[in-house]
Amino acid sequence: MSSFARPTRRTVTGLGAAAALGLLAACGRPDETESGPAAPAEPIAEGAATGSLTVWAMGAEGEKLPELLKGFQEQNPDVTVEVTPVPWDSAHDKFTSAIAAGTAPDVAQVGSTWMAEFVGLNALESTPEEVATDDYFPGALEAVTVDGTVYGVPWYVETRVVYYRKDLAEKAGITEPPTDWEGLVALAQALQEKADAEWGISLQPGGTGSWQSVMPLIWSNGGNVVDEASTEFTFESGQNEEALAYYQSYFTDGLADPAPADGTTEQDFVSGRVPMFISGPWMMSAVESVGGEGFAGKYGVFTMPVKETSSSFLGGANLGVFQGTKNRDAAWKLVQYLSTPEVQVEWFGMSTDLPALQQGWEDETVASNEKFEVFRAQLDTALAPPVVATWEQVAASFDAQIEKVCKDDLAPADALAATQSEAQGIGTGA
Amino acid sequence: MSTSTTTAGTDGRPAAAGSRRRSRRGAAEARAGVLLALPFVLLFAVFTAWPVLQSMFMSFTDMRISDIRTPFAVDFVGLENYRTAFADPVFRRAALNTGVFVLLGVPLTITAGLAAALALNTGVGRLRAVYRVGFYSPVITSIVAVAVVWRFLLQPGTGLVNTVLGWVGIDGPHWLGDQRTALLSLVVMAVWRNFGTSMIIFLAGLQAVDPGLHEAAALDGAGRWRRFVSITLPSIRPTMLFVLVTTSIGYLQFFEEPFVMTSGGPLNATVSASMYTYNQFGFGNYGVAGAMAYLTFLVIGLVTLVQFRLMREK
Repeated sequence: MSSFARPTRRTVTGLGAAAALGLLAACGRPDETESGPAAPAEPIAEGAATGSLTVWAMGAEGEKLPELLKGFQEQNPDVTVEVTPVPWDSAHDKFTSAIAAGTAPDVAQVGSTWMAEFVGLNALESTPEEVATDDYFPGALEAVTVDGTVYGVPWYVETRVVYYRKDLAEKAGITEPPTDWEGLVALAQALQEKADAEWGISLQPGGTGSWQSVMPLIWSNGGNVVDEASTEFTFESGQNEEALAYYQSYFTDGLADPAPADGTTEQDFVSGRVPMFISGPWMMSAVESVGGEGFAGKYGVFTMPVKETSSSFLGGANLGVFQGTKNRDAAWKLVQYLSTPEVQVEWFGMSTDLPALQQGWEDETVASNEKFEVFRAQLDTALAPPVVATWEQVAASFDAQIEKVCKDDLAPADALAATQSEAQGIGTGA
Repeated sequence: MSTSTTTAGTDGRPAAAGSRRRSRRGAAEARAGVLLALPFVLLFAVFTAWPVLQSMFMSFTDMRISDIRTPFAVDFVGLENYRTAFADPVFRRAALNTGVFVLLGVPLTITAGLAAALALNTGVGRLRAVYRVGFYSPVITSIVAVAVVWRFLLQPGTGLVNTVLGWVGIDGPHWLGDQRTALLSLVVMAVWRNFGTSMIIFLAGLQAVDPGLHEAAALDGAGRWRRFVSITLPSIRPTMLFVLVTTSIGYLQFFEEPFVMTSGGPLNATVSASMYTYNQFGFGNYGVAGAMAYLTFLVIGLVTLVQFRLMREK
């Protein structure tokens, strides 16, 4: 037996070494070729769409999209569209492995923070001229623009405004919603002192996504965390420090709970324990379903308070056509279809996703709700997260520093310096 | 002398011929063996060995998410990724958390499992099956559903735990939101979730203990405790080793609890090595993430080796 085993082990070792050598010989980055501006996209063919298309969409959108696409199939009877719903949690991994394997869908909903990364992977087609991009909210269009080239189109948008209990504010002697930073603090104090609120406002004390609460304040103060060209991080600045200190003051002054329980925002809002929070349009139906009949009249929304400007976070999702699609014309026609004002309004009716096209807001169904008007006003000034390929990782380290600022009394300047050095270590991935 | 050498010579020749014949037959057998083993070896090589090699290779390169289309067009960076991992304060914190989790969780899980098994083996008579199902059910329940319930239990104001503590005049902390208690809460939850497995294995081990030994010891006047220490424990030593090793490996990779309960917060108090590695993969830092995964693998290997050394039959 041993005489048999020995050569085998040697052969295996040899094979392993050969494989390793092969790997080493094959590895190494190709010489950098200077990439110029992206070539202009080819035009889309005329006529109706034909052939088959695969479409990926996430979460609730994925479930409701087939219903919306019936109209597209009526207009283009020769096309078959297959929609695959992808859960948000696994979507990013699924996309990257599909891109690596060359099995990406023709058209897909693309998360707003993924754009730069996917463009870096050479996965998205730039938008042809036939697809009009002039009517989108400026922040939304910025989110699909990488290095000056537009990839795909914004699909729907969402932004964050301040929710407050109108009835409790009146009890505390405040009848007009505040408009500036000081006013928001005053309202939180008044609610706490005169309306029996335990906390004046609910703010996220760090943790995943808290940058979405801090960035609007930074923008509002004229600051930013990346330079114009999105090539350098600029966390350390007087404006940013002032904005972060303002955010911190809510915790140090006892206006916001530094260790809130998970998922109780709606109940606390309805019970009056925490009668103010900052969130997106989906919270309207959430608080109204907890509050029950007549609660809609008890609360109001107002745009983010002004320092230099009123600024908010612009989220939502985009539509992209993937490179390597076998049915490019039909793919872009589908994108065109989804970007018409009528379809955007129809989609709003199905999903309550806010139209990314400004024209979509002229429709009665969207314009009739006065609370939506506040969102409409906020969308004009809302900004998308920085279009940087490594943003998710930079944001995670920013989140960690924000947590220290809110819970550990870390000086805002130190937090920003730490974030800056971590961000520089991570790089912009360009 | 001479006869013996001759014998040896005459004996030796046929023996050599025989072994040649045998080796020919052996070679044929070996060929058949290789052929039969080939399907498994191929599958193993492609689906197990290759990914392992590839990921190890990855941990020595500067591979990022942007390289997934050309996984070999990356630069070899030696141990740089391992240096990065060690230099990362969050990873060190994650390693510390994992260590604390293992050091607290493993003994507690084994003690709880053994205690439950002993109770079921001797104490409760007819209700045994009920208890067995009861203790084992956390193991087969989905962690996601369990997490929701535990979050309710540990809720600061209205949670059951703090309500009960309130009855006896203790103002309970915000279990998952406080840096000092968050990891402990996860340890308790993990013990509750996992002791059922060790209980079942211990139960099987206990039933194999020779009752004759107990009888004899009892006749000699050994008390319960004495019999437990001198008979039961030595008899279930292999079972103990198995439970110790599997529980330790499981806990060294602990991931689900912080992932669904705290996302690693507050202030990284519950981030675990596996979870931080997972995050790095998510950020697209494949090289660094690979290095972190291999560091965890190394620690698991070492810990397991030490356990085998310490627990082996003497």
